[in-house]
Amino acid sequence: MLGFWEMMDRALTGEFMSEAEFDMQRFVPALDEVKKKYKIKCDFNTPVPCEDALADTLFEAGVELYSRVGTYCTDTERIILFTKDEIQTALINAPNNVYIGEGKQRKVLSSRKPDDETVPWCYLGAVGGPVSDERLFLSIMQGYALIPLVDSITTPTIVKYKGTEVRAYSPYELAVSIRSSKLAREACQRAHKPGLAFMNSIASSVSDTAKIAGSVFDLRPSDGWLIGGASDFKINYQRLNEIAFVLEYGGHISGETSPCLGGFCGGAEGVAIANVAYHLQALMVLCGSYQVTLPFHYQNGSNSMQPLLWVLSASSQAISRNSHFPFFTIPKVLAGPLEPMTFYETAATVSALVASGSHIEALSTHKNSTVDLQTPEGPAFASEVAHAVVGIPRKEINRIVLTLLDEYKDRIENPPRGKSYPEAYDIDAAVPFPATEKIYNEMKKKIKNKFGFKFKY
Amino acid sequence: MLEKFKRELASLHRENTISLCREAIEQKIDPLKIINEGLTPAMSDIGEKFRTGEAFLPELIQSAQIFEEAMNILAPAIKKTGKKTEIKGAIIIGTVKGDIHNLGKDIVAMLFKISGYEVRDLGVDVANSKFLEEAEKHQADIIALSSLLTSTMPIQKDLIKILKEKGIRDRYRVIIGGGPVTKEWAENIGADGYAENAMEALTLVNNLMEEKPC
Repeated sequence: MLGFWEMMDRALTGEFMSEAEFDMQRFVPALDEVKKKYKIKCDFNTPVPCEDALADTLFEAGVELYSRVGTYCTDTERIILFTKDEIQTALINAPNNVYIGEGKQRKVLSSRKPDDETVPWCYLGAVGGPVSDERLFLSIMQGYALIPLVDSITTPTIVKYKGTEVRAYSPYELAVSIRSSKLAREACQRAHKPGLAFMNSIASSVSDTAKIAGSVFDLRPSDGWLIGGASDFKINYQRLNEIAFVLEYGGHISGETSPCLGGFCGGAEGVAIANVAYHLQALMVLCGSYQVTLPFHYQNGSNSMQPLLWVLSASSQAISRNSHFPFFTIPKVLAGPLEPMTFYETAATVSALVASGSHIEALSTHKNSTVDLQTPEGPAFASEVAHAVVGIPRKEINRIVLTLLDEYKDRIENPPRGKSYPEAYDIDAAVPFPATEKIYNEMKKKIKNKFGFKFKY
Repeated sequence: MLEKFKRELASLHRENTISLCREAIEQKIDPLKIINEGLTPAMSDIGEKFRTGEAFLPELIQSAQIFEEAMNILAPAIKKTGKKTEIKGAIIIGTVKGDIHNLGKDIVAMLFKISGYEVRDLGVDVANSKFLEEAEKHQADIIALSSLLTSTMPIQKDLIKILKEKGIRDRYRVIIGGGPVTKEWAENIGADGYAENAMEALTLVNNLMEEKPC
C-alpha cells in the first residue's frame, strides 16, 4: 500500500493544471462519462434500494471515477492520481477493527454490511455546531457524554474567547482550540466517562497551527482528528500538514468528505458515485482510520429528504458491500432541536443509513449554524433509533422511511427553529428541564407506537 | 433564428451557438435583438432548470462561458449600433479572508452571471482591502461576502465597519451568505441582506437593485 510520502511525491510531480481546468475539464466530464457507462439511475420513490447489483455497480463506478480524477492539490496545482490496481491494494490493506477511546470506554470500530445484525457505532454530539462560550461548551459536552448509547463524541465549536469573536488564523482560534481539548476531557471526567474519545478532535480549529496546538493538550492517539479536503476532490498543504502530524503522533484520522448535490457532482447519481470515490480519497489521501462523510443538498445543506436519502442509502450499500474500511455518515436534518419534525427526520435518515451498512455521526440540526441551537436529545434519539432498527431488512426500512417522509415533507421549505440549549437545559447542573424530557419521551412513544421500533430502553 | 439561439444555448451547444452568432453578424441581424430575444431567454431557461433541480453548477458554468464567448463575437457589432447592452448591476463576490470554501459562492456567482449581472468573482480567501479596491474599480452596486466558518464570519462584520470608517457605507449594498450565516447575524452586523441559498440570493439582489439606488 502506498504511504503518505509516496502520495506527497505525487502531489509534487503529478499532472499540472489550473483548479478551473480540474473542475470543468477533468472532474465534470469524467463523472458524466462514468455515470453513463455504468447506467446509474436514482429511483426517487425508493429511498432505500435493496438491489445488491446496484450497490456493486455503484462501487465499481466510484473506483473508476477516482482512478480517472484523483485528488487535486491546490498548492502545487497538480493531481495526485492512483491506478485501479493501487486502489484495490489500498482497499485490501485498509484499516478495520480500529480501537477508539481508553479504559472502560475503549471500543472497537468495525465495518458493517447492509442488513447487518451488529449495532452501528454511535458517534454523538454537536457535529461541530457553534456554542457561545466555554461555560456552555462544558455543560453541553457533559450532556453528550451521559447519553447511554454514546460510543464517542463529536464536539461543538466555541465562537467567543474572553468575550471576543474567534477569528480563523488568530491567537483566539489557537486559544479556543487548546481550551476545547481541555474542556472536552474535563466534561467527560465529570460524566464519569474519562476514556470517551473525541473523534472530531478540535472542532474550533481551522488552521493547521491551531489543530496541532490543540492536539498537544489532553488529546490522545485513541481520539480522532477530523481532516477533510475541499470540494470537490481537493486538498492543500494545511490539511497535508495536519495529516503528517497525526501520522507521526500515531493518532486516528477521521477522513472527512462532503459531496454536494447541485455542485460539481450534479444530481443524485453523481453525488452517489462521488461519495464512493470520496471513500477512496479518505483512505488514500487523507490516510484515515475511517471515513466520515456528509452528502448534502446545495439548497438547504441537509440530507433528510429525497433524493438525498437515496444517495445516502445507495452509496452506503455500495461502500459497505465492497470495502471493510469503516465509515460514518452524518444525518443532517432541517428542523431544530426538540421539534417533532426533527424526530421524524432523524428516524428516517438514521434508519436508512443503519440498514445500508453505515455508522452514524449525529446529529446536525437546522443548518448547524445558530449559536447554542443544539441539545443532547437529538443525538440521543439518533442512537436509540440506530440500535432499534438493527436487523430490519432494507425492504422494510424503505417502507418505514417512506411513511416517515410523509410526516415532514410538507415542512421542508420552512423548518421550525426548535429550542436552544439554554432554553432546554439548566446550564450549571447540565440537566434537561422537565419540559424537555417530556417532549423527548412523548415523541419517542409516538414513533414507537406508529413504526414499531423496539427501543432498547 | 432567435429561437435557434435560444435552443442551442439552452442545450449548451457551444459550437452551434457560436456559429449562429457569426451567421447573424453576416446577415446583419440586430445584435441587441439576438441578446435580448435569443441568448438572455436561454440563460433564463438554465436558471429555471437550476431552480427545479434539472441543472447544476457545471451547467451554470458552461452556459456562462458560451454566453461570454457569444458576447465577445457580438461586441463589435453592438459597438457599431452605438447602443449599450443592458446590465442589471455590478456585483463583487468572494469568500472572505481565512476561508477557502468555494462551492456555495461559485453557485451564487454563476447564477448572478446568467441572470444578467456583471459579476467579478474574486475567489476565496479574499482580503477586505481587495473587496474595496475591486468594488471601487468596477463601480459595484453590491458586495457579496461568503463565509463557511463561524470563525470567518467576523470578517463580514469588519468589512461593514471599514466602509463606515471610510464614510462610504452608503455607496454599496453588502449582502452575506454561507453555511453558518443567519438572518440574525446579518441584522446584527448591519448587512443589507442575507440569503439562505442561491435562488434566495438572486431574489435578494433583484430586490436590492429595484430599490432606490444608494
